[in-house]
Amino acid sequence: MIKLTDVRKSYAGKVVLDGIDLAVQAGEVVSILGGSGAGKSTIVNCINGLVAPDSGSVLLDEFSVANRKGLREIRKKCATVFQNFNLYPHLTNIENITLAPVRVLGVEPKNALADAHDLLHSVGLNEHADKYPAQLSGGQKQRIGICRALAMSPDYLLLDEITSSLDPEMTAEVVDVLKLLVDKGMTMILVTHELNVARSISSRIVFLEAGRILVDVHRDVFFSDAFLDENRRIKSFIASANGL
Amino acid sequence: MSFLSDIGPFIPALWDGFLTTAAVSAASILGSFVVGTALAVVATYGGRIAAMAATIYIEAFRNISFLVLIFFFYFGLPELGIFISAFWTGVLVLSLAVGAYVADAISAGLTNVQGGVKDAATAFGLTTAQRIRLLELPLALRVSLRPLGSLFVNLILTTSILSTITLNELTNAAKIIASTTFRPFEVYFLLLILYSILTYLCSVIVHRMHVRANRFLAT
Repeated sequence: MIKLTDVRKSYAGKVVLDGIDLAVQAGEVVSILGGSGAGKSTIVNCINGLVAPDSGSVLLDEFSVANRKGLREIRKKCATVFQNFNLYPHLTNIENITLAPVRVLGVEPKNALADAHDLLHSVGLNEHADKYPAQLSGGQKQRIGICRALAMSPDYLLLDEITSSLDPEMTAEVVDVLKLLVDKGMTMILVTHELNVARSISSRIVFLEAGRILVDVHRDVFFSDAFLDENRRIKSFIASANGL
Repeated sequence: MSFLSDIGPFIPALWDGFLTTAAVSAASILGSFVVGTALAVVATYGGRIAAMAATIYIEAFRNISFLVLIFFFYFGLPELGIFISAFWTGVLVLSLAVGAYVADAISAGLTNVQGGVKDAATAFGLTTAQRIRLLELPLALRVSLRPLGSLFVNLILTTSILSTITLNELTNAAKIIASTTFRPFEVYFLLLILYSILTYLCSVIVHRMHVRANRFLAT
């Protein structure tokens, strides 16, 4: 379980997270929605330890990000896929995927290579194994990013705006991969602006506003007319996200 | 014809000088690269005191006359009982002095590494040492190769100063031949060509390394 309790974070006096309480159970897929600057990505970065909260606790199973040993274990169990891919440009795609399993988990290089080929095959990119990231399209890069995360055999997956820099066709490619992961029961936190992506894969929606959780409900509730009629601000967010 | 017959007997001496210059250059390029890389890593990632020490070193060696350094190491250190041959004095001083410039070039490359690469490496649990060694340094070197090439060409040309501490490198050999044959124009012209061969070779090697190292950018 991922559990955030009263997490607060400010940058130069600007409050980004203002007392976040969030629990994600194994097998859940939680989408975090909200406007720009609402604090969505900061939540993800507090979980993977790229950002240290000012106060509050972040736990993943029994491990806390507050101590070095806990953080090391969290990073083994919880992998991140980034908005801008963040692939290692000087390594081939297969090397991007095998680097962390070999260096962090201590997997035998031969086994890591075989696993990486299996992953690439599963996302239809096996023939691009020995190419470099610069030789791929955005959608292909993001699928490599997902493979890199899955190569860690994570219990949890953090997906930070992973489709926001992709066109609709490439987004569809990535969503297809995410649906496969949902079917396998992967626990995921998805930060997104895109309602269709959230609607198609999440079980729960968390809506953030100004660093606070405004609502935390089941997906079907979130997108229901009755709920939206009661929550005008969310309705206007959805309308603007849909370009209405 | 007369020039060739005058200079002919000295060709082996000139060749020896050429080989000495090539050897001192190669050893100093390697030495300055090691010194510069270590300084850049300490200056970029070291704690406050270590980074400050590295920065002071870089600034100090960039502001000291190379000739004075050479004299200090070759003529000054023996007073303390430290004797180093002219060859190794040259290698040591060139490594220390050019290392400061190399550190600057590599530091600029390290600063240039995208934050996303660091974030990904950190989030995936790589240690700081792994991150630097496997990702940031290789990426920085790819950016720094061209400026490093210019530094190494300058280093090769600077080896001529080692003639002042009796190292029988190319310039020293040429000086002896010119004063023996009384043909300074021809001898120093030949010297220009020989230095050009060395620096051109260095440029070609660095260019090829740059192209190979950046092949990942090809689409």
